Amino acid sequence: MRHRLLPLFWTIIFLVFAVLLSIAVGSVFIPPADLWRLLTGKFSGTLPEPLATYALIIVSIRLPRTVMVALTGAALGASGAAYQGLFRNPLADPYLIGVASGAGLGAVIAMSIQWPYSFWGLMAIPMAAFLAALLTVFIVYSLARVGRTVPTTNLILAGVAFGSFATALTSFLMLRSSGEIRRALGWLLGGASQAGWMPVLGILPYLIIGLSILLLGGHALNLLQFGDEQAHQLGLPVTRARTIILVAASLATAAAVAFAGIIGFVGLIVPHVMRMWFGGDYRRLLPLSMVGGAAFLLIADVLARVVLAPQEIPLGIITALAGAPFFLWVLRRSKNQGYW
Amino acid sequence: MLRIENLSVSYGARRVLHDVSLTVENGELLALIGPNGAGKSTLVRAVSGFIPAQSGSASKNGTNLLTAPASERARIISVVPQVAFLPPAFTVWETVLLGRTPYLNFLGQVSAADETIARQSLQRVDALELIDRRVGELSGGEQQRVLLARALAQSTPILLLDEPTSHLDLHHQVGLLELVRTLAHHDGLAVLVALHDLNLAARYADRIALMVDGQVKALGTPNEVLRPELISEAYHLPVQVILNPLDQSPLVLPGSPKE
Amino acid sequence: MFRKLIGICTVLAIFLAACSPAQATPAPTIIPTKASMVEAPTAVPTAERTATVLVDGLGREVKFTNPVLTIVSMAPSNTEILYAIGAGAQVTGRDEFSDYPAEAKSLPSVGGSMGQYSYEQIAAIRPDLVLAGGINTPEQVKALEDLGINVFYLGNPSTLEEMYANLETVAKLTGHEAEAATLVDSLKARVKAVDDKLAGVADQPVVFYEIDASNPNKPYTTGPGTFIDLLIARAGGQNLPGLTDAYPQVSLEQIVLANPAIILLGDAFYGTTPEAVAARPGWAQIAAVTSSRVLPFDDNLVSRPGPRLVDGLEALAQAIHPELYK
Repeated sequence: MRHRLLPLFWTIIFLVFAVLLSIAVGSVFIPPADLWRLLTGKFSGTLPEPLATYALIIVSIRLPRTVMVALTGAALGASGAAYQGLFRNPLADPYLIGVASGAGLGAVIAMSIQWPYSFWGLMAIPMAAFLAALLTVFIVYSLARVGRTVPTTNLILAGVAFGSFATALTSFLMLRSSGEIRRALGWLLGGASQAGWMPVLGILPYLIIGLSILLLGGHALNLLQFGDEQAHQLGLPVTRARTIILVAASLATAAAVAFAGIIGFVGLIVPHVMRMWFGGDYRRLLPLSMVGGAAFLLIADVLARVVLAPQEIPLGIITALAGAPFFLWVLRRSKNQGYW
Repeated sequence: MLRIENLSVSYGARRVLHDVSLTVENGELLALIGPNGAGKSTLVRAVSGFIPAQSGSASKNGTNLLTAPASERARIISVVPQVAFLPPAFTVWETVLLGRTPYLNFLGQVSAADETIARQSLQRVDALELIDRRVGELSGGEQQRVLLARALAQSTPILLLDEPTSHLDLHHQVGLLELVRTLAHHDGLAVLVALHDLNLAARYADRIALMVDGQVKALGTPNEVLRPELISEAYHLPVQVILNPLDQSPLVLPGSPKE
Repeated sequence: MFRKLIGICTVLAIFLAACSPAQATPAPTIIPTKASMVEAPTAVPTAERTATVLVDGLGREVKFTNPVLTIVSMAPSNTEILYAIGAGAQVTGRDEFSDYPAEAKSLPSVGGSMGQYSYEQIAAIRPDLVLAGGINTPEQVKALEDLGINVFYLGNPSTLEEMYANLETVAKLTGHEAEAATLVDSLKARVKAVDDKLAGVADQPVVFYEIDASNPNKPYTTGPGTFIDLLIARAGGQNLPGLTDAYPQVSLEQIVLANPAIILLGDAFYGTTPEAVAARPGWAQIAAVTSSRVLPFDDNLVSRPGPRLVDGLEALAQAIHPELYK
């Protein structure tokens, strides 16, 4: 029993390390001594400078951002594992059936409207992205359905088709409303677009629902690896199980994308690496991908803040640039062990 | 016992099973034979509920298996599929354990009793030494045995096999069918096997059902069904039937198409 | 997966191209202009500080102690405005792209390239006020607000009068009303001088302003809604006919049909030269090319909504009607 939980234990340790790194490091250098005092000390009254500024940075900027990035990474990692299991395809990622393209279209449409500067006005773009993402999944699912079943091939085809359409429309709209092109591009490249705790509170309910369902779906995903027919014969209500997992994964992805934009590679790489190192049992793979995704994205975010400081790089670019070579390296090391 | 009544299945507009009725008694091995496209595989898949039926039923003790909830059905019927995709990274042990699914909660938590049953199943099919091997590394025959072990682990009173010998060599064909016959006669399972090899059917089946174009053309003992005129007409090929000198079962000898 | 990778790399390439000033040769303005109104920053105002409220470009009521003593500018146009009205000494931070006047470059940067600013840097500077501009998003304003930092959003002007109003607004914030008034007067005088020079000139040559010609068969230009379009008309020229979008992509055929007398290279900063234009297939017959009136142009003069727009107007007038400036 201990042996089986060991991978999760080490991954959580890695996550804790990433969280600490994300709080300690940023574009402003905070001396370790001051950092230690702030994290451990008790203070009465107002802090002297520069400690007051450091405290502001840590509490109001880095802490909410750390939580937000960790949640986003967890959602993308877990959804990626779920999608790879559902579609039995190593190239599957959370954006396979068009969630990203739909969200992008929703966001760009919302950006072309001048919203009032108010709570709901600022919520308009994330909400539009979220709703558009869910609508996309619904449309793709409906297009792919044949009678009572939803064949995976149909889902992929419908997803790619609709995704291409949405992407093309998005590009067209971006070129037409040139004032917003910078903003749209920034959103599409990914990164924490809104600061503070509001985004965290905004996505938390959907993440809790989506991720809880996914964590419970490991056994069903194991069965699905044998194909719909064998899973059915072993007693799994196949269509119902696949639909529930698909909806849960899409919900988590839509929530992650709503505020953070399109961050690629996390949902593709993290489950693969976890599978390579710890095996393909989805009951373990899902929690490992969740924790691993959070840690991975946190590290990427630290790089995004530090590499060109004070300039910050959009997160999606870091994950793409850093993720690809890392993945190739791990792939070579696994020496063709047929881990899939 | 498995009671199939007036089962009809269509693929779109095309009717592939016409009003099929059949019973498989407990302790009996019933072989389904027939030319390609006769509907043997379709029947197996329809009875297991994977393909929807337009009308008719398949029941045991009054429970209609086609409408029963998934886990209840899976405790009554298990299937050894024909050409099975097996995810290469799963081990034999993990694969066979999945046979216990109908008895597990949705998290898939396995008890010691479940593990014992899985182990015993592997022992029955003589595959215990493969237990830690990855399924992707096994030969076709070994994979087939693992699939049979999984179906055994499901502990069901009814067992369906869809052409289980098509990828096996002679040794394994015989070995598998010997085991399946023991499961029927000794353990009392109701076993329905779709077979393409007429002579294996003759040797191992208690009764044979000959299917042609989605209908049961003949049903009875091997001697009753494996008659030259029936077989020739079904397979569009002249055949001779002689007595197998080893066990007195019918032996079908295919003739030349030109005769 | 590879599709996405190529897509991301392409976008990255575009971004890097947009953010790499170092390699490109700096484009000279075509004719030496009058020195812009950048005065040496006066001393920080010592007038008594009072609490004031102003409504900014997002409709927010911004409370501040007047005058504001330390400012971070989030847009290059705002930086130019601040220095122009004499508030340069009060600026303690600026965005990556603020490069005018030269003194601004020595201030600490707070990011801004690729649309991402470092809120940590801004917080560390602890300014009295952050001056945001049209290129900033409401989300960025909100993020700073949440950190307890005062932000004033200066909306983009669409006419010269609105630009003057912005100068006066920033002057109110920083306590330089007198200098701003003088500046506005002198800007108006210069604009009037241009108007007077052009009074009675009947000829309105067609001008093609190029902002990107990566595909020389389909370059990008500026249309209605941009200052360039406005100023070209004010400077006695006419933009390509039939444009409806602000930054449209036009086909070479349209340009040939319009046969501009002058071509201004707003992309000279990125290395486009008149010789390169003349060498483009299909461009050789255009009037501007045959009469060698393809001129590099400092795009910052006409795209940053600040006092240098008047410099831009003058430069445009000299380019379009050189005969009036002999």
